[in-house]
Amino acid sequence: MRWYRRNERVVLSVAGVVLFFVVWEIGSAAGFVDKFFFSSPSAIATAGASEVTKARFWDDVRITALELVVGTGASVVLAVPLGIFIGWYRRLSLTFDPWLNFFNALPRVALVPLVVLWFGLDWNMKAVVVFLGGFFAIILPTVEGVRTVERHLLDVSRSFRASSRLIFTSLVIPGTLPFIVSGLRIAIGRVLAGVVIGEFYAQTQGIGVMIYKAEASLQSDRMLFGVLIFTVLGIVLYESVGAAERYFQRWRPVREDEA
Amino acid sequence: MLGVRNATLALSRVNERLFFGVIGFVGVLVVWETTAQLGLYRKSLLSTPSAIWRAALTDFANGSMAPHITTSLSEFAAGFAIAMAVGIPLGLLIGSFRRVDYLFNGLLAGLNATPNVALIPLIILVAGIGYEAKVVVVFLSAFFSVVVTTFTGVSTTAARHLDITRSFGGSRWLAFRTVVLPSTFPFILSGTRIGLGRALVGVVSAEIISANQGLGFYISLYGTFLDTARVMLGIIIFGVFGVVIGEGLRILERRFEVWRPDLHR
Amino acid sequence: MTIDVAREPGQHMALSARGVQMEYRDRQTGHRLLALERVDLDIPDGAFVSLLGPSGCGKSTFLKIVNGLILATAGEIKLHRVAKGREDAMVFQDAALFPWYSVVDNVAYGLVCAGVSRKEARSRAVPYIDLVGLKGFADKYPYQLSGGMQQRANLARALAVDSAILLMDEPFASLDAQTRELMQAELLRIWTAARKTVLFVTHQIDEAVFLSDRVVVMAARPGRVIADIAIDLPRPRSLEMKQTPEFARYEAQIWKLIAHQQPSDTAPVP
Repeated sequence: MRWYRRNERVVLSVAGVVLFFVVWEIGSAAGFVDKFFFSSPSAIATAGASEVTKARFWDDVRITALELVVGTGASVVLAVPLGIFIGWYRRLSLTFDPWLNFFNALPRVALVPLVVLWFGLDWNMKAVVVFLGGFFAIILPTVEGVRTVERHLLDVSRSFRASSRLIFTSLVIPGTLPFIVSGLRIAIGRVLAGVVIGEFYAQTQGIGVMIYKAEASLQSDRMLFGVLIFTVLGIVLYESVGAAERYFQRWRPVREDEA
Repeated sequence: MLGVRNATLALSRVNERLFFGVIGFVGVLVVWETTAQLGLYRKSLLSTPSAIWRAALTDFANGSMAPHITTSLSEFAAGFAIAMAVGIPLGLLIGSFRRVDYLFNGLLAGLNATPNVALIPLIILVAGIGYEAKVVVVFLSAFFSVVVTTFTGVSTTAARHLDITRSFGGSRWLAFRTVVLPSTFPFILSGTRIGLGRALVGVVSAEIISANQGLGFYISLYGTFLDTARVMLGIIIFGVFGVVIGEGLRILERRFEVWRPDLHR
Repeated sequence: MTIDVAREPGQHMALSARGVQMEYRDRQTGHRLLALERVDLDIPDGAFVSLLGPSGCGKSTFLKIVNGLILATAGEIKLHRVAKGREDAMVFQDAALFPWYSVVDNVAYGLVCAGVSRKEARSRAVPYIDLVGLKGFADKYPYQLSGGMQQRANLARALAVDSAILLMDEPFASLDAQTRELMQAELLRIWTAARKTVLFVTHQIDEAVFLSDRVVVMAARPGRVIADIAIDLPRPRSLEMKQTPEFARYEAQIWKLIAHQQPSDTAPVP
């Protein structure tokens, strides 16, 4: 009982997920969940088991992974240095402000047809869509982070005659890291949405295409198996960024309101 | 004297922001137009501001744009309104009971981690490709962020504030109305902000993938015709829409949250 | 434990506590911790009594037990009730105003909790806002007030419910030294005007001596009362009194009591 009270949170959230799948399974067996649309956990598991034996499935996985890795990697590699650069020069950041805000407010998926005009329907077009999702999510908080480096700490460094280089590495980078990480958190949702939309639109290859084609051939079990792959991927990514966030912010006291 | 000096300082800061903002905005347009006219890249790739302007004038004048905009707007509004109407009460409910919060925790985290757009094929399967399907997509896109931020707000209500109500003998219901609701309101607003962005993505995605009307369809249609000016026009309208929503929300925030010092700087 | 409310008027004690005990179980080690060990305390009507002690001596815990925010594991508390309203009202530590309410709504809050309509509560709050010296600030929000003004509003909220006893939990702890002294003098002025019984928790010796009729000194581990000292300084008191030799003698006496108290010391209560 004491063990339960200490772990109540974990126990109940696992119970919630298990309960969800049980109700789904029983519901589709009993008929109050429409099997045609929503399949059932056991049917999805069966579909998944047969899917992983196919070479085509692994090709899809490889393509989706390639698009995600290249697109996300490029967005991080470009957005972080560029964001720091723009944020460091106040007037430069003001000059770029309207465009950055515009692109951030713009649903990036609207750019997909344009990107297709540029790159065709191959994997690199989808990598660009992924890139666009990640880039603006990361660059805006990065600019913000550099811009809001704490003024009094900057004064401390200046009064000790710290070199710009030292100010940069001892103050700007650690101060901006939390912002970059929170940008990464936002980026996860956007890059995943980007890869899915890109693949839906291009209809060439990838897990998204598998989902789309499964729908067209009315195989809801295969379709939901594909969706679950993205769910698991999303959870893994969110957890990793969460771990990074805790690591980089370990010096930050827990605020009373959050406790 | 001090007040006057502060005022002029603030004014010059606003001016500076505006000045460089306008320079950036106009500068990009000018560079865009001139490089295209000089033939530095193919106009079919990015079109030009003047071509986009002409396309806008034509399509708004002959009325071919209006139905697309109204379709998208009404899908967006209906889906988002339902998401708020269901999401906020549900979030308040989940957050008010610790065990219910725990029970939904894993489930909502999973649903939140799923890219909503991946569910579009399922929605098409269930609801077809018409208006209702788009409303469902918008609803799903916005719903989770509204629920999650609302119940996070409720469950992080400061214990010391709740103690005050208890100390003066106020009921749980009074604590809910006077403490939980106002301290959750900023969370609801930020959930609304995130939700609006996602709902917009939802509209575009659903329309790009399968539709016969709406701005997303407009973009996608002219994309296949290689009419870049109209593709850009559709994109710009979405962008303007996104900016307007964001600004509207900011005004709402200032209006309703007079007690938050961070909004008055 | 029980909290009894005596309803017959004319009783001498505003508060009387017998054998109040508070035990925690450490979550990691599972050891029992005594936060409070058999605390007895009587406070006569109209008296100003301070609970003084180092952090961890359970003085705030005792206050919360009296207020009903925490349930003690053993003991008995009797509170005297006035004709109407609550028997006790708490003045919390810093940042205890609702940031989303203006001063008048914050001050009226205790009355709203007691079931008074918002409109009536607001009008009944006004005299208390004036009493604590916040006239003209009724429509300001907490972030527009200084720390001292926030604590004035905090005090007005507790006064407005017109309770028999006022419980004050280190209300001036986060104020700067000058403001704190000013607020101490103000509190005495308001106390004289409002004629309340006050139980005041603090860790500042001079604050306790200056304000109180009696200073109850507590020690930590386990939290318990080690001395109960009557302060026979004349009233009304002014801040100049802090310079007098009598004042210094009280300070020195209490300082010795606290300094000689080792954390692990379990000497019996004198």
